Amino acid sequence: MSLTRIQCERFTAFEKIAVDLSPGINVFVGANGTGKTHLMKLAYAACDVSKTKLGFLEKLVRVFLPSGRRLGRLVKRQPGRNRGIAEVHQGDRKIRASFSTLATKPESGKVAGASEWATRPIESVYIPVKEMLASAPGFRSMYAQRELHFEEVYADILDRAYRPPLRGPADKSRRRLLDSLQEAMAGRVTVKEEEFFLSDPQGNLEFTLLAEGMRKLGLLWILIQNGTLLDGSVLFWDEPETNLNPRMFKALIEILLELQRQGVQVFLATHDYVILKEFDLQKKPADKIAYHSLFRDGGREIKWQGAGRYLDIHPNAIAETFADLYDREVKRTIGGGSR
Amino acid sequence: MTTFTEGNLQIAFPAGAVVQKFDDRSHGLSHCMKAVDFIVELKDRYLFIEIKDPQHPESRREERDEWAKKFLACSLDEDLKYKYRDSFLYEWACGKVDKPIHYYVLVALDTLDGAELIARTDALKRIIPLDGPPAGRWTKKVVDGCAVFNIATWNEKLRGFPVTRLPGVGRDNAGGVR
Repeated sequence: MSLTRIQCERFTAFEKIAVDLSPGINVFVGANGTGKTHLMKLAYAACDVSKTKLGFLEKLVRVFLPSGRRLGRLVKRQPGRNRGIAEVHQGDRKIRASFSTLATKPESGKVAGASEWATRPIESVYIPVKEMLASAPGFRSMYAQRELHFEEVYADILDRAYRPPLRGPADKSRRRLLDSLQEAMAGRVTVKEEEFFLSDPQGNLEFTLLAEGMRKLGLLWILIQNGTLLDGSVLFWDEPETNLNPRMFKALIEILLELQRQGVQVFLATHDYVILKEFDLQKKPADKIAYHSLFRDGGREIKWQGAGRYLDIHPNAIAETFADLYDREVKRTIGGGSR
Repeated sequence: MTTFTEGNLQIAFPAGAVVQKFDDRSHGLSHCMKAVDFIVELKDRYLFIEIKDPQHPESRREERDEWAKKFLACSLDEDLKYKYRDSFLYEWACGKVDKPIHYYVLVALDTLDGAELIARTDALKRIIPLDGPPAGRWTKKVVDGCAVFNIATWNEKLRGFPVTRLPGVGRDNAGGVR
């Protein structure tokens, strides 16, 4: 079963928020600083501990990396002593973390529902904004040994990427996805001594020499090939548009929609109009997409507004930006202003 | 082929199309209802056509700021919305909503690029509204499709209805607007 709800009180940027999720694709939109990444990291941490059995609070600290690894810094900044609450729901089950401003270590907080939560492990993967495959050799071992100031999502994504391929031939639907990606990348990914290469008939090209956007497609190829993204798994992808030419978005969204049809729950945070429009144009009636608009209300608190259709997204910071561009163009051309 | 003129733009319609200049005196309700410029009846559909020409000669240099305000996103979107809705209601009352309706808007401003046109198209779809309520209670469509074009994209996508700017009253007469 997929995640159904994320709920927080006085957690990071949020005073109080509850987001109802789609079992298919969840697209988060909103201006910078409205907490899109925070909600995805929270949900990812909950998924991850269902498999690893690591403490939920410990994982939150590793994923958010507050200064000094002090748990209490994840409570929303307000005068006085406060208590933050963060919950992730899967139907009638939920995992709940609560902790005070004074909590210095994960053990200082409380977690409810963890043992039942762990009875149904959720495979998950979080693709962060910065691409990591090119820096992979040696990073994991160094991360394990040293206090590196990297959120744990960067180490986790490499763990997933280094998993060996699934045994046996890929089934038809997985093969189709891999073929689409290979066509977009003009090659396939291979790994030699922890180093990633894009292989085509001309030879192997190391990832450090490959365009960063292309490395992202390579990562997706690996995660499908090694079976991390299968029915029942959850994919979190923060700003997939980063370093990717918009020409690639059509193929990318086609693949994400297909993953959803195969039972993968997908979370995206995006600032990109083309990503939204591609979903709108490629969506089929049976596809399940929820758009989550995060915005600050008059009192400057972050609010959530959900929509099932692209045209119903409101407020839509991206559309507002295009309206502003349009206005400035009209003014420049006919408004009497200087060119 | 029949041609009609709106401002200094000329639009040609194919033979067989029944074209009505909708916002003229025959409308009769212009004191209380807005109207699109043309209603065109084709074999399988109606076209509601609205033409906006920010580069019209009326755009005199000293009035350009005021003129431009009419074409800013917020006022343009609202104007296009009410023109469509009122025209639809008028035609409905005439018993002439018997085929799908498509709403095409021409904003004759060369500098608008694809992203800006698609953004206005989406805004129009959102506020008419094209899809009705999320609960899906509407059993009929109030509009089957709508799109905003500039002259170049209009002529590229709507080849049957070419638009030309009439010679002699072009942009140079529009107070030097380029």
